[in-house]
Amino acid sequence: MNAPLLTQDQKDALQEIANIGMGQAGASIAKVLDEFVQLSIPRVLFVPPEEIPVALALTIGEGQVSSVRQAFHGSMRGEALLVYGDQRCNDLADLMGYDGKLDHASELELLLDVSNVLAGACLGEIAKQLGMTIGFSAPSLMADAVPLESLLQAEALPWKTALLVEVNFRLEQRSFACHLVMLMPENEVAALAAALDRFLESF
Amino acid sequence: MDAGSVEHLLHFVVDRLEVGILAVDTEMRVVLWNRFMAMHSGKPPEQVIGRNLFECFPELPQKWLEKKIRNVFLLRNYAFTSWEQRPYLFRFHHNRPITGGVDAMQQSCTFLPVKGDGDEVEHVCINVFDYTDTALYQHKLMAAIGELESEREEQKRLIKRLEEAQNQLLQSEKLASIGQLAAGVAHEINNPIGFVNSNLGALDRYVQDLLRLADAYGVAEDALAARPPEFQAVAQLKQQIEFDFLREDICSLIKESRDGLDRVKKIVQDLKDFSRVDSSQEWQWTDLNKCLESTLNVATNEIKHKAEVIKDFGALPEIECLPSQINQVFLNLLVNAAQAITGRGTITLASGHDGDWVWIAIADSGCGIAPEQIKRIFDPFYTTKPVGQGTGLGLSVSYNIVAKHGGRIEVDSLLGKGTTFRVWLPLRHETNEAVDASK
Repeated sequence: MNAPLLTQDQKDALQEIANIGMGQAGASIAKVLDEFVQLSIPRVLFVPPEEIPVALALTIGEGQVSSVRQAFHGSMRGEALLVYGDQRCNDLADLMGYDGKLDHASELELLLDVSNVLAGACLGEIAKQLGMTIGFSAPSLMADAVPLESLLQAEALPWKTALLVEVNFRLEQRSFACHLVMLMPENEVAALAAALDRFLESF
Repeated sequence: MDAGSVEHLLHFVVDRLEVGILAVDTEMRVVLWNRFMAMHSGKPPEQVIGRNLFECFPELPQKWLEKKIRNVFLLRNYAFTSWEQRPYLFRFHHNRPITGGVDAMQQSCTFLPVKGDGDEVEHVCINVFDYTDTALYQHKLMAAIGELESEREEQKRLIKRLEEAQNQLLQSEKLASIGQLAAGVAHEINNPIGFVNSNLGALDRYVQDLLRLADAYGVAEDALAARPPEFQAVAQLKQQIEFDFLREDICSLIKESRDGLDRVKKIVQDLKDFSRVDSSQEWQWTDLNKCLESTLNVATNEIKHKAEVIKDFGALPEIECLPSQINQVFLNLLVNAAQAITGRGTITLASGHDGDWVWIAIADSGCGIAPEQIKRIFDPFYTTKPVGQGTGLGLSVSYNIVAKHGGRIEVDSLLGKGTTFRVWLPLRHETNEAVDASK
């Protein structure tokens, strides 16, 4: 087993920051969607890449999933992965300014739009809490209704361990659920560790 | 470089960059409109700056776009559109007026939050990137992939047909070699039968002669006034061997044996007719009733314990066909008919003639075929028989043989009542007709 990438203190700090960040993000998303958003307490864990689908299956369950990825860069680098169930986020169409019945292209555009909002809000808040600035690339579609187990299989992930920060969203009035996973490769975690140390020292 | 010239440079770059750059304030008023936007929209900055974006471009999807821009103000975060889902935001001509391929410039856009001195977003800057070339390549790529996939499907189909053809070939190879074997055996049997037959003929005559001789002795004996005592022994022997019965029986034995030999000869001839090795793959003028008769003889062992055969043949003109293959079809249908019967039943053979067509019908009183199975019975390897009884090729091979003759097979079946197969064949073979016409 390799030395842990983050110390227990750093991990606790990250958990704390993620908690605060999600609270803020929830408030921003609620402003955008005009709906109360339920966010789970973030789960922070390190897993080998091949176990990511297993880790996801724990919270998502079996069935068809669609997913979007969005890279973030700046003082920390990684990818956000947003995983949706069968219904994707079609129920949010009117909240995002869509009228009438969605065709396939609009369904996917909506998926990318909502993913951008969620990833931007959550990762942006975490970065802000850590005093870091990050930017985002355009989100792209990773999987269009595929079985969960095939989600990351085709991706050759070169790292031994990935940091996984997992949050679940739910809207009270709408049938919508989504899982956000923040993935960072090992060599990028050092920057995060340094930022966490600065955060810890500020108390 | 002083601050002034840097600002000038920035200004210049933003204006001349080959990317559409515009910015709006919280009221959706345009505050920045670079040359790319002006050139492609045909609206110079003075027509746009300070005015509401949706007033200038009423064709924009206002509800959706305004929500998108407002979200950038609210979340202080980027937003994006991609040509793949939304081909364009602004409808511009593309850079390929001649070679074309798409109806408008394909665009991907980035929505940038522009913050003022504080944390609040004061403007949203929209960058419009021209993705037309990428989109065209992508379309070509997709078309190529689609083509490859349909080719692969076609290949799969061909491979399957090839397999079917190969199996049929194997099957007909097997049947051909069995036929050859049968014809060879028939030939071998013909020789001994020949000399046994002629010996039997001679034997018949000799026996008649011997009997005549014996009769003459009898007459001579009766003529003697006094019989020497040796005649006592002759009378005793006559009684011992039941001479009177023997002389009657020996004739019928010989007659029966000759009948038996005739039957063997007939069967051998049928076997030869059936396999037709002598003239196997040639189109011949043939009487189908005779074909059916000889096939029936070959198959008689399969049938006689199962069914009574009723023949209702009509007069048929000769037709041009490959007799050994037609025999094959009849054999398959006869064996199937027999196998369809559980216990004892009847097989009715009928034939007829209608214009340029003749037909042969083989009807059984067997178990029948369920409607959902009927459409599959001609598929190769489809069988409902127990393992070892059927290869599932018989009907498929028959179907192809009949199709090769330009004919068809009709099936009429009632579950529990029986099945009738009717083979329709044209009088003349088509390609031969063409040859005849050209003469």
